[in-house]
Amino acid sequence: MSTFTTMQLDALRELANIGSGTAGTALSQLLGRSVDISVPNAFVLPLAEAVEAVGAPEQEVTGVAIPLAGDMDAVVLLVFPVEDAGTLAAMLGVEPGTEDAVSALSEIGNILSASYIGSLGAMTGLELDLTPPQTATDMLAAIVATVLASRAAATDTALILDSELRVEGEQCSLSFLLLPEAGGVREILSRMGVEA
Amino acid sequence: MTAAAEIAVRMGEIAVSRTAGDVLVSLGLGSCIGLALVDQRRGVAGLAHIMLPEAIAGGGPVGKFADLAVPELIAQVTALGTARPMLQAVLVGGAQMFSLGGSGAMDIGARNDEAVRDALRKERIPVVAADTGGARGRTIRVSPGGPVLSKEAGGAEIVLMQGVRA
Repeated sequence: MSTFTTMQLDALRELANIGSGTAGTALSQLLGRSVDISVPNAFVLPLAEAVEAVGAPEQEVTGVAIPLAGDMDAVVLLVFPVEDAGTLAAMLGVEPGTEDAVSALSEIGNILSASYIGSLGAMTGLELDLTPPQTATDMLAAIVATVLASRAAATDTALILDSELRVEGEQCSLSFLLLPEAGGVREILSRMGVEA
Repeated sequence: MTAAAEIAVRMGEIAVSRTAGDVLVSLGLGSCIGLALVDQRRGVAGLAHIMLPEAIAGGGPVGKFADLAVPELIAQVTALGTARPMLQAVLVGGAQMFSLGGSGAMDIGARNDEAVRDALRKERIPVVAADTGGARGRTIRVSPGGPVLSKEAGGAEIVLMQGVRA
């Protein structure tokens, strides 16, 4: 099982903290509203436990998945509870549940990921590019497991950096997850000077 | 006899039972396959939650990969007192939720489906029902001697195999 030291997890959590801070600021500017950002979690878990760490497996959510290209193999996954996705669409002036709402959420995913990944790149010197977002509304487990399966061939553990953003005064929150492949994590850590 | 229970079979896990009323369940299969092997007459059932087609060294539990999970699931159900010729297979999952690329993957869901069927063919176990492919996630529920059920998010439960017990 791949393991990380407490110091390495702290470093990853700090990265997630800065990344989600930048993403939260971008969301706040976009909506003209205050956005609260939770203290991020960094989980290293056996694959079997990974889904439940994110939420209830059968909860219906909208997921926006953005694979990264460049120096690190990872997927950014934004998870919105379905009602919250609707609230967000309405705040952006589009009808919830329509194709316009889907593209609005994809665009939000793009903007927030660009902020998060931009600050991650600036801190580590890694060249990271976003590829086009893909959106699905389905059971949380199906979305998270599918993303994990696309990157988890060589590992029996999942590293999940999880931050929650919440729009103040609205029923509107989202989880921002970074799911890196194991080799990518080692690359980040070595760039930050936090070796095992 | 132990008391009946709902047993979650999560990514890469395998579970088997011969307790009437037990329910083996994999919630929210996306590109993963839920493979049920059942002997309805003897009331034995097993479920594997398979993530990927082929094992790679050091890649995790045997239940994660189609090529290792199928023989392991067969071994575990036959250990509960059934014989291989009595087994029937039901497959659920293998959807393409996203096209994410990565590690040489075209469509993991379809490749999982194919790999599980290939492995079952080698073991001469018939696939009697399946609810695979498409773009929606599914939940599978299996009861020893009871039905095999599939359900999409927000959808109705589909009976893929009838139970012999009421």
